[in-house]
Amino acid sequence: MPTHEFRLNHFHAMVIFALIISVAFGFLSRRSAYQRARYILWSFILFLLIGVGIGWAMYPFSH
Amino acid sequence: MSDEVPIAEATNAVPIARSASPDPVPASDRRRRDAFALTIAVAAWFLPGLGHALLKMWGRALVCFSTVALLVILGAGMRGNIFSRSGEDAFAKLGYLADLGAGSFYFVAQALETNGPDVSHANGDYGTRLLATAGVLNMLAALHAYEVTRARKA
Repeated sequence: MPTHEFRLNHFHAMVIFALIISVAFGFLSRRSAYQRARYILWSFILFLLIGVGIGWAMYPFSH
Repeated sequence: MSDEVPIAEATNAVPIARSASPDPVPASDRRRRDAFALTIAVAAWFLPGLGHALLKMWGRALVCFSTVALLVILGAGMRGNIFSRSGEDAFAKLGYLADLGAGSFYFVAQALETNGPDVSHANGDYGTRLLATAGVLNMLAALHAYEVTRARKA
Protein backbone atom coordinates (compact mmCIF):
# COMPACT_ATOMS: atom_id res chain seq x y z
CA MET A 1 0.00 0.00 0.00
CA PRO A 2 1.52 3.37 -0.95
CA THR A 3 2.17 5.65 1.98
CA HIS A 4 1.51 9.36 1.85
CA GLU A 5 3.87 11.19 4.08
CA PHE A 6 2.53 14.29 5.75
CA ARG A 7 4.87 17.12 6.60
CA LEU A 8 3.19 19.51 8.99
CA ASN A 9 4.75 22.35 10.90
CA HIS A 10 4.13 22.82 14.62
CA PHE A 11 1.23 25.21 14.21
CA HIS A 12 -0.59 23.14 11.59
CA ALA A 13 -0.24 20.01 13.71
CA MET A 14 -1.67 21.86 16.71
CA VAL A 15 -4.60 23.30 14.75
CA ILE A 16 -5.53 19.93 13.22
CA PHE A 17 -5.21 18.17 16.58
CA ALA A 18 -7.34 20.84 18.31
CA LEU A 19 -10.02 20.68 15.62
CA ILE A 20 -10.32 16.88 15.61
CA ILE A 21 -10.42 16.58 19.39
CA SER A 22 -12.87 19.48 19.78
CA VAL A 23 -15.29 17.91 17.30
CA ALA A 24 -15.07 14.51 19.02
CA PHE A 25 -15.55 16.00 22.49
CA GLY A 26 -18.41 18.19 21.31
CA PHE A 27 -20.32 15.28 19.80
CA LEU A 28 -19.70 12.98 22.77
CA SER A 29 -20.59 15.42 25.50
CA ARG A 30 -23.48 17.47 24.07
CA ARG A 31 -26.78 16.52 22.46
CA SER A 32 -28.25 19.48 20.61
CA ALA A 33 -26.65 20.93 17.49
CA TYR A 34 -26.42 24.42 19.00
CA GLN A 35 -24.76 23.17 22.19
CA ARG A 36 -22.36 21.08 20.17
CA ALA A 37 -21.37 23.98 17.96
CA ARG A 38 -20.80 26.20 21.00
CA TYR A 39 -18.75 23.54 22.76
CA ILE A 40 -16.65 22.78 19.66
CA LEU A 41 -15.90 26.46 19.07
CA TRP A 42 -14.97 27.16 22.69
CA SER A 43 -12.92 24.02 23.02
CA PHE A 44 -11.07 24.75 19.77
CA ILE A 45 -10.29 28.35 20.77
CA LEU A 46 -9.13 27.30 24.24
CA PHE A 47 -6.92 24.54 22.81
CA LEU A 48 -5.22 27.09 20.56
CA LEU A 49 -4.93 29.82 23.19
CA ILE A 50 -3.52 27.47 25.83
CA GLY A 51 -1.17 25.87 23.28
CA VAL A 52 0.21 29.22 22.16
CA GLY A 53 0.34 30.38 25.80
CA ILE A 54 2.39 27.37 26.86
CA GLY A 55 4.64 27.95 23.83
CA TRP A 56 5.31 31.51 24.92
CA ALA A 57 5.83 30.44 28.54
CA MET A 58 8.50 27.99 27.37
CA TYR A 59 10.16 30.53 25.08
CA PRO A 60 12.67 31.96 27.65
CA PHE A 61 13.97 28.45 28.42
CA SER A 62 14.84 27.76 24.79
CA HIS A 63 17.48 30.52 24.70
CA MET B 1 -62.37 14.14 79.81
CA SER B 2 -58.82 15.34 80.07
CA ASP B 3 -56.98 17.45 77.46
CA GLU B 4 -53.99 15.17 77.47
CA VAL B 5 -52.78 14.02 74.11
CA PRO B 6 -51.98 10.32 73.81
CA ILE B 7 -48.24 9.63 73.68
CA ALA B 8 -48.40 8.01 70.27
CA GLU B 9 -49.91 11.11 68.71
CA ALA B 10 -47.66 13.56 70.54
CA THR B 11 -44.38 12.32 69.13
CA ASN B 12 -42.98 13.86 65.98
CA ALA B 13 -41.73 10.54 64.73
CA VAL B 14 -41.51 10.40 60.96
CA PRO B 15 -42.94 7.18 59.56
CA ILE B 16 -40.23 5.02 58.09
CA ALA B 17 -40.64 4.61 54.35
CA ARG B 18 -40.33 1.22 52.82
CA SER B 19 -36.79 0.81 51.53
CA ALA B 20 -36.82 1.68 47.87
CA SER B 21 -34.10 0.23 45.64
CA PRO B 22 -32.10 2.94 43.82
CA ASP B 23 -32.41 0.97 40.61
CA PRO B 24 -35.97 -0.20 39.95
CA VAL B 25 -34.81 -2.65 37.26
CA PRO B 26 -34.96 -6.30 38.41
CA ALA B 27 -31.62 -8.00 39.07
CA SER B 28 -31.90 -10.38 36.09
CA ASP B 29 -32.62 -7.50 33.70
CA ARG B 30 -29.77 -5.53 35.21
CA ARG B 31 -27.36 -8.40 34.58
CA ARG B 32 -28.55 -8.68 31.00
CA ARG B 33 -28.19 -4.92 30.53
CA ASP B 34 -24.66 -5.01 31.98
CA ALA B 35 -23.68 -7.83 29.64
CA PHE B 36 -25.13 -5.92 26.68
CA ALA B 37 -23.27 -2.78 27.79
CA LEU B 38 -20.02 -4.73 27.93
CA THR B 39 -20.64 -6.12 24.44
CA ILE B 40 -21.29 -2.60 23.17
CA ALA B 41 -18.07 -1.36 24.79
CA VAL B 42 -16.02 -4.16 23.22
CA ALA B 43 -17.61 -3.48 19.81
CA ALA B 44 -16.92 0.24 20.20
CA TRP B 45 -13.30 -0.48 21.07
CA PHE B 46 -12.80 -2.96 18.22
CA LEU B 47 -14.21 -0.73 15.50
CA PRO B 48 -14.43 2.98 16.37
CA GLY B 49 -18.03 4.15 16.17
CA LEU B 50 -19.55 0.68 16.08
CA GLY B 51 -20.77 0.91 19.68
CA HIS B 52 -22.72 4.08 19.02
CA ALA B 53 -23.95 2.72 15.69
CA LEU B 54 -25.42 -0.31 17.49
CA LEU B 55 -27.18 2.14 19.81
CA LYS B 56 -28.48 3.98 16.71
CA MET B 57 -26.56 7.14 17.59
CA TRP B 58 -25.53 7.74 14.01
CA GLY B 59 -23.96 11.19 14.41
CA ARG B 60 -21.74 10.12 17.26
CA ALA B 61 -20.86 6.90 15.46
CA LEU B 62 -19.80 8.79 12.35
CA VAL B 63 -17.76 11.31 14.33
CA CYS B 64 -16.04 8.62 16.43
CA PHE B 65 -15.13 6.65 13.33
CA SER B 66 -13.94 9.61 11.29
CA THR B 67 -11.95 11.33 14.06
CA VAL B 68 -10.12 8.16 15.08
CA ALA B 69 -9.51 7.29 11.42
CA LEU B 70 -8.18 10.79 10.70
CA LEU B 71 -5.85 10.68 13.68
CA VAL B 72 -4.54 7.26 12.66
CA ILE B 73 -4.03 8.27 9.02
CA LEU B 74 -2.27 11.50 10.02
CA GLY B 75 -0.19 9.80 12.71
CA ALA B 76 0.94 7.03 10.41
CA GLY B 77 1.49 9.52 7.58
CA MET B 78 3.71 11.58 9.83
CA ARG B 79 5.68 8.41 10.56
CA GLY B 80 4.83 8.29 14.22
CA ASN B 81 6.01 5.45 16.40
CA ILE B 82 3.56 2.57 16.74
CA PHE B 83 4.50 0.87 19.98
CA SER B 84 4.68 -2.90 20.05
CA ARG B 85 4.09 -5.40 22.83
CA SER B 86 7.79 -5.81 23.41
CA GLY B 87 8.26 -2.37 24.93
CA GLU B 88 11.28 -2.11 27.17
CA ASP B 89 10.41 0.75 29.50
CA ALA B 90 7.23 1.99 31.18
CA PHE B 91 6.66 4.68 28.55
CA ALA B 92 6.80 2.16 25.74
CA LYS B 93 4.34 -0.07 27.58
CA LEU B 94 1.99 2.85 28.22
CA GLY B 95 2.36 3.90 24.60
CA TYR B 96 1.43 0.38 23.52
CA LEU B 97 -1.69 0.48 25.70
CA ALA B 98 -2.65 3.86 24.26
CA ASP B 99 -2.07 2.70 20.68
CA LEU B 100 -3.99 -0.51 21.29
CA GLY B 101 -6.97 1.60 22.36
CA ALA B 102 -7.64 2.26 18.68
CA GLY B 103 -8.76 -1.39 18.32
CA SER B 104 -8.56 -2.66 14.77
CA PHE B 105 -7.16 0.69 13.66
CA TYR B 106 -3.92 -0.25 15.42
CA PHE B 107 -3.33 -2.74 12.63
CA VAL B 108 -4.48 -0.22 10.02
CA ALA B 109 -1.79 2.15 11.30
CA GLN B 110 0.80 -0.61 11.00
CA ALA B 111 -0.33 -1.36 7.47
CA LEU B 112 -0.23 2.32 6.47
CA GLU B 113 3.22 2.95 7.86
CA THR B 114 5.21 0.91 5.39
CA ASN B 115 8.38 3.00 5.76
CA GLY B 116 8.48 2.56 9.52
CA PRO B 117 8.59 5.27 12.16
CA ASP B 118 10.90 8.25 12.01
CA VAL B 119 11.02 10.10 15.29
CA SER B 120 14.29 11.86 14.51
CA HIS B 121 12.18 14.85 13.41
CA ALA B 122 9.42 16.71 15.24
CA ASN B 123 7.00 15.48 12.57
CA GLY B 124 7.41 11.86 13.62
CA ASP B 125 7.11 12.81 17.27
CA TYR B 126 3.78 14.54 16.59
CA GLY B 127 2.68 11.46 14.68
CA THR B 128 3.39 9.33 17.74
CA ARG B 129 1.18 11.63 19.83
CA LEU B 130 -1.61 11.55 17.24
CA LEU B 131 -1.60 7.75 17.18
CA ALA B 132 -1.76 7.60 20.98
CA THR B 133 -4.54 10.20 20.97
CA ALA B 134 -6.53 8.08 18.51
CA GLY B 135 -6.35 5.15 20.92
CA VAL B 136 -7.25 7.15 24.01
CA LEU B 137 -10.10 8.91 22.19
CA ASN B 138 -11.48 5.57 21.05
CA MET B 139 -11.34 4.24 24.61
CA LEU B 140 -13.23 7.33 25.78
CA ALA B 141 -15.86 6.77 23.09
CA ALA B 142 -16.17 3.10 24.11
CA LEU B 143 -16.64 4.15 27.74
CA HIS B 144 -19.29 6.64 26.64
CA ALA B 145 -21.16 3.96 24.71
CA TYR B 146 -20.95 1.68 27.76
CA GLU B 147 -22.35 4.37 30.04
CA VAL B 148 -25.14 5.19 27.60
CA THR B 149 -26.15 1.53 27.48
CA ARG B 150 -26.23 1.39 31.26
CA ALA B 151 -28.44 4.53 31.13
CA ARG B 152 -26.01 6.58 33.13
CA LYS B 153 -25.43 9.10 30.38
CA ALA B 154 -27.53 10.70 27.68
